[in-house]
Amino acid sequence: MDKEILRANSLYHIYESNAEDGNVVALRGLSMTMLEGEAVAVVGPSGSGKSTLLKCLGGLMKPSAGSVELAGTRMTRLTGKKLVKLRQEAVSFIFQDANLLPHLNAIDNVAQPLIHQGILARTARPKAQALLDTLGMGERSYGMPDQLSGGEQQRVAIARALITEPKLILADEPTGALDPITSREVLELFRKLHKESEMAFLLVTHNREVASFCERSLELREGRFIAQHGTDVDIGDLSESRELIIDDSGTVTLPPDVLLNLGGPGRFEMSDLKRDMLHLDRVDEDKVIISSENGKMVLSSSCPACKYDYGDSDEQLCPNCGSSRPMVNE
Amino acid sequence: MDIGSLVSEVIPTMVIAWILVILFIFSIKNIIKFFRIVYRLIEPLITPDKKLISEKEEFSFERFLINWSLSFNSKWLSAPNNIRLAMQSAWRGRERGLAIFSGVFLASLVMTTVLAYAVGLNQGFFQFSLENDVFDAKIDFQEDPEGLWEGRTNDSEVWESFCDDLIDRPEFSDCGLVFGRQGIRVSGFFDPDFANPQPLNVESVNSTTSDWTNVSWEYQEASENGPPINDQRTIRFYGDGIWDGELGERHSKSIIFGEWPSSASDAQANRSIVLPSKIASAAGVEINDKIDNLTFSYVIEVYEVVDALQASEECNTILDPNFEVERLFCKDTMTVTNLTVAAIYEEGDFGNPTLLFHPLMVTDSVLSDEQKLILMQSDHGYLGVSVDRNQLPTSSTRAATGWLTDLGRDLESEKGEVTTFDPNTGNETGTEEDWIPRYHEVANGSGIVLISVEYVDLISGTINFLNIFLGIIQVFDYILVIPIVSLSFVVLLYGLVLSLEQRRREVAIHRVIGGTEETLSRMMIIEVFAISSVAWGLGFILASVAVDVVLRAVGFLRFTDEGDFNVDPILSILSTFIVALLTIAIAYWRGSVTTGKFLSMEIDEGVRKVRAQREPYYLLHWMTFGLGLFAFIESWIQSNGGFFIWGNSGIVTNFIFNAILLLLGPFFLWIGGALVLSRIGAAGPQILNRLFGWSPAISDIRRGLSGSGSSKSVSQLSLILLLTLSIVTLAAVQGHTGTMVDERTTNAQNGADLMVQFDTSLTEQEARNQIMQSIVSIDDNDITEISSMTSVAQTITKTKAEGTMLITWVLFDGHEDTLIWDSQAIPGDDINEISETWRLGGYTAGSDARNSLDDPSIGKSLTLQYTTYEINQFGLPVETGVSETTVNYAGRHQWVPGISSIESDSVIVIGENTYRELVGNQTVDSHTSTTWMFELCDESESGCSNALETLSADLKSNTGVVSASDWSTAHEQNERNGGLIFGTPGLLSMMFVVAALASISSAFVFLSLVLSQRKRELAILQAIGASPNQVIRLVLFEIMSILLMSMILGVTLGLAVSESFNGFFSIFGFIFQLFLGQSVPIDRNLVWPWLEIILVNGLVLVAVIISLLFTTRRALDSDLATVLKGE
Repeated sequence: MDKEILRANSLYHIYESNAEDGNVVALRGLSMTMLEGEAVAVVGPSGSGKSTLLKCLGGLMKPSAGSVELAGTRMTRLTGKKLVKLRQEAVSFIFQDANLLPHLNAIDNVAQPLIHQGILARTARPKAQALLDTLGMGERSYGMPDQLSGGEQQRVAIARALITEPKLILADEPTGALDPITSREVLELFRKLHKESEMAFLLVTHNREVASFCERSLELREGRFIAQHGTDVDIGDLSESRELIIDDSGTVTLPPDVLLNLGGPGRFEMSDLKRDMLHLDRVDEDKVIISSENGKMVLSSSCPACKYDYGDSDEQLCPNCGSSRPMVNE
Repeated sequence: MDIGSLVSEVIPTMVIAWILVILFIFSIKNIIKFFRIVYRLIEPLITPDKKLISEKEEFSFERFLINWSLSFNSKWLSAPNNIRLAMQSAWRGRERGLAIFSGVFLASLVMTTVLAYAVGLNQGFFQFSLENDVFDAKIDFQEDPEGLWEGRTNDSEVWESFCDDLIDRPEFSDCGLVFGRQGIRVSGFFDPDFANPQPLNVESVNSTTSDWTNVSWEYQEASENGPPINDQRTIRFYGDGIWDGELGERHSKSIIFGEWPSSASDAQANRSIVLPSKIASAAGVEINDKIDNLTFSYVIEVYEVVDALQASEECNTILDPNFEVERLFCKDTMTVTNLTVAAIYEEGDFGNPTLLFHPLMVTDSVLSDEQKLILMQSDHGYLGVSVDRNQLPTSSTRAATGWLTDLGRDLESEKGEVTTFDPNTGNETGTEEDWIPRYHEVANGSGIVLISVEYVDLISGTINFLNIFLGIIQVFDYILVIPIVSLSFVVLLYGLVLSLEQRRREVAIHRVIGGTEETLSRMMIIEVFAISSVAWGLGFILASVAVDVVLRAVGFLRFTDEGDFNVDPILSILSTFIVALLTIAIAYWRGSVTTGKFLSMEIDEGVRKVRAQREPYYLLHWMTFGLGLFAFIESWIQSNGGFFIWGNSGIVTNFIFNAILLLLGPFFLWIGGALVLSRIGAAGPQILNRLFGWSPAISDIRRGLSGSGSSKSVSQLSLILLLTLSIVTLAAVQGHTGTMVDERTTNAQNGADLMVQFDTSLTEQEARNQIMQSIVSIDDNDITEISSMTSVAQTITKTKAEGTMLITWVLFDGHEDTLIWDSQAIPGDDINEISETWRLGGYTAGSDARNSLDDPSIGKSLTLQYTTYEINQFGLPVETGVSETTVNYAGRHQWVPGISSIESDSVIVIGENTYRELVGNQTVDSHTSTTWMFELCDESESGCSNALETLSADLKSNTGVVSASDWSTAHEQNERNGGLIFGTPGLLSMMFVVAALASISSAFVFLSLVLSQRKRELAILQAIGASPNQVIRLVLFEIMSILLMSMILGVTLGLAVSESFNGFFSIFGFIFQLFLGQSVPIDRNLVWPWLEIILVNGLVLVAVIISLLFTTRRALDSDLATVLKGE
């Protein structure tokens, strides 16, 4: 079995708020693990706690309760320099906006993380230039952020995330601010990196295209994982050896991971009830379908607007009407 | 300040100070670090129950090396890159950097100006007070002529040639031989032997062309204005070195008639003599008049009074006793012949008494070699020198004294080996280094003469007096600029917070990509340091250049270009360092504290939805404001002479508390008022919304306004505007008031264009003739005739009812044409009206006189009696007749121009007609007076003022004229005293200009920052359907209402503060009046210079509108989507 890169144990996070309902609970006892080289998507509606989770996992923020282990080190009690050092070594972030430093040009932006690590500029800058070259940004390396397009900015941000050679990249809506074509390019880049360098990705998104790039996706709602989807998910694996105790009052408590594998809270029908056997069927309309069974998505074969047939071409824009080519389930 | 001294002195000083500041910051940081380490070591001892959180790592050398090299890398090797990036981002983010820049720049500018002003003041005072002393030092032989003749010479030529050695030294600018006062070998005026060395005294003068018989050679003033050394007129014989060069120039400054001989040969050829004006006037000599012979006395021997018997035996010539110093001087006389009057000089003030005052000055070429030898033998020959005053350190009086002491000691002595003896046995014990007399080698034709000298410094005495006086002035000036200095600090701190606030996001990004607190804070602090260094430097240089202008202020925003003094204020290293410390280091320190705060909270709290916000100390604000208001009321009650149940001592009767309250009150009022009122200013939109919400102009955007004005930056904008505009108002009001006070003081003191006091009572015609004579003789086109003249008759009347004796002054008809009246002086404020009242039989009374008349009400009639007396045969006065008339009370007068206001308190003033009724026409028509006042020309014109000065100088040298004071000289004097000494016009002008610029620029800078923060808000408004027009109107209305409210409140606050400051000014005014002996206390009635206030407020308004339109346009033009997208 592969090494774990990330493990979170029952994370809680509460935001103080002056609103009438009192404080806001963003995370309610979340647990998850991630293996090295794995790509995981966290999906869920707005306000479900995705960004909070990402910040907690990346050590940008301390959860109110619970612990996070990054690359085998527990971060909860780490402070100051050591925490920064761990982050420098293990993890990089990519955000919806490129979040470039506005007063530095592209190459200085990319080199900045190394400089923060105490590496001299004369070492860092060639490396940054090389990386920008790989990402096809070699010629724009002296451009200021506000002179770059959104896609270019995001690529600079990606280069900046890669330059430290992290084991894990945490990305918060990395394509959120990009048009579909550029975001496809960015995703393609992610895919390449994922394959070639065995970096682990944790993507927060509500874009199906993005989620489909990952091996599995976790669905987050109101601070809890309610479902897991993906190709290698083995439910039997998790709950075979478990015991459930049902007390006199007839209350059943399911452990979180069992609930997770069950597909999250919801309404269930007991269609078949025998001694020592409980069969639960989720009521259909309550099911959340995030992606199709195997999650594979391909470019649609015809333009949805003018029905133009793309045939075998890889074009992103319809040559007929100019609308962008969507992705559909295979 | 010229460019040369800027480059050669100011800038190097700045560089050193800058480096010192860096070292200072470094050492402070390391000291703190050191204490932290120490504390960490002893922490377990102090708090034993607290376990150390950080687990100890195993120490390994390798690890240590890695850590060290990493930290070395990031600290030092990356420094060039870090600095480059800091500079780059400072430049690219200059909008936010501007905030820091303007704060530091202002603070640096203001502080440098004030400090340099103090230095300039010092220098200016030096020059004024040294003006009367032409010689800076007197160099005598160190050895007494009585003793061994070591180090002395009797050869005046050899002695004179020592001057060449002196001038070779850079410290001395000129030198010459003088025959005059004997060698002084004691220190200080208070040594009883100080009076022993005597000057040469004039005994008699004969001339065929002028009459010298009535000229008195008594000169009592000489012993009254210093130690009683000598009370006769003195004479000096000048050698070649005196006539030209620096010393010649100094002498020629006071020449009023004729020319100072341009060179020694000139003086020699003409056998020149230069006379003091009093002597020339008494003898009636003119330039080029001949003096046939002049006899003067010199001292042969000095005896103590107890040795009088021995003295009378030994002294075969004149024995001149001086009982005040208990000495007898045995003198002999000498005569020089055939002199020509080359020039006449004006006897100025009495300066340093060492060389005695106002001598006759003659070229020494008229002395025969034999006479010179005798004078040398009797110790009358000395060297008069001038030092290069530019080299005199003027940063502090102590530095100057030290410099002079060193100079003197270096001339007198040198380090040398001295044999030491055992005090018990008397045996030699060895040698040690000590000061021994220095022997200068002077060539003597064939060989070399050794000379040792005594350096008698004439400057340090002047300095010692200045010390006390300047101390008070500087305290006053420093207090005066507290508001503007604190303002610049407010701008600095506000700028820092705003600019760092802008970097919040940037900091977050840096942290995400792995920036540690250390690298980040270093990065930001380098930027702050770089910006503030540049700002400090520019502010410092600008201030160094501008202080010259400030020093030349003679009134509010009025500067003279007359070079009557020439200063080059250069700040010492210490002052420069202090300015740098207070600006750069404060910016650095505040920057690192704020950065530290951001860094510690960004991750944990920075993302919180509700940020914990510290509530401002509202109670403290209100208390400060309350205290300020209380002081204001107190000062108002006092100036009002009591109110309600309180008397004229006010509510607080304790003297000390009262003084503290009056001193600090204005500052409390200012700061507290600004803090409290700024909240009202920030609430401007709501207030105006309430008032104008109905109008179609804003009815559609009312909703948008309801929540505005609450943000912190907006209320701080209001605070800054309040602070700056109140200072602008304060400076304008007090500056104008001060200028007016100077002018009015002159009016009150001098009374008219020219006031002349004669030694006998003259009729109008006689006085007119005298003055006309002078007018003709000065031959100036600006004054050709007397427009009008008057005098104030004084008599004594008696009230019929009570029999109270009253001193009565009479104003003749037409007095208002000559006398310069002030509305403060009279009841009401129309002088024509009150003149008419006087003419028609009204009278006014001073406050004491009014009391003695039982406080009459206006229009109340009073019957005055005038009694004529005759002296009978027994010499006793006998009443010969009583006349009476009835006058009506017309109000209270304060003073009559030209006459001391203290006297006017107890007199009544009547008109000419009343006087005629009392004393009869004949007495009035033949009225005589010793004091006459003249209206000659328009005193505000420069041609007229020059002519006035010449005329009064001419009159002063006339016999029969006791004094002649012209308006122009008196005004200059008052401006200089009120201006330079107070330092107020210059500093207030500076405050005005700086605060005006600050209000305009901060409105501009801060507004654009505030607005760029609100870009998103504006975009949202547009996105939800507001038209650009509405958005602009919304922003305009919101900001303009804040601005207008702040302006109104700021000006109001400024007016209140300047009223409140009046008490403070009066306290210091009182102190200065004590020093300067001014007797006319002019009320500091505030003048409200609406023009300036409106002008500045208008400019602020324009600046704000421009910056508003500019930034709003930019916000509107920017792509909505991009603005909205960015978080």
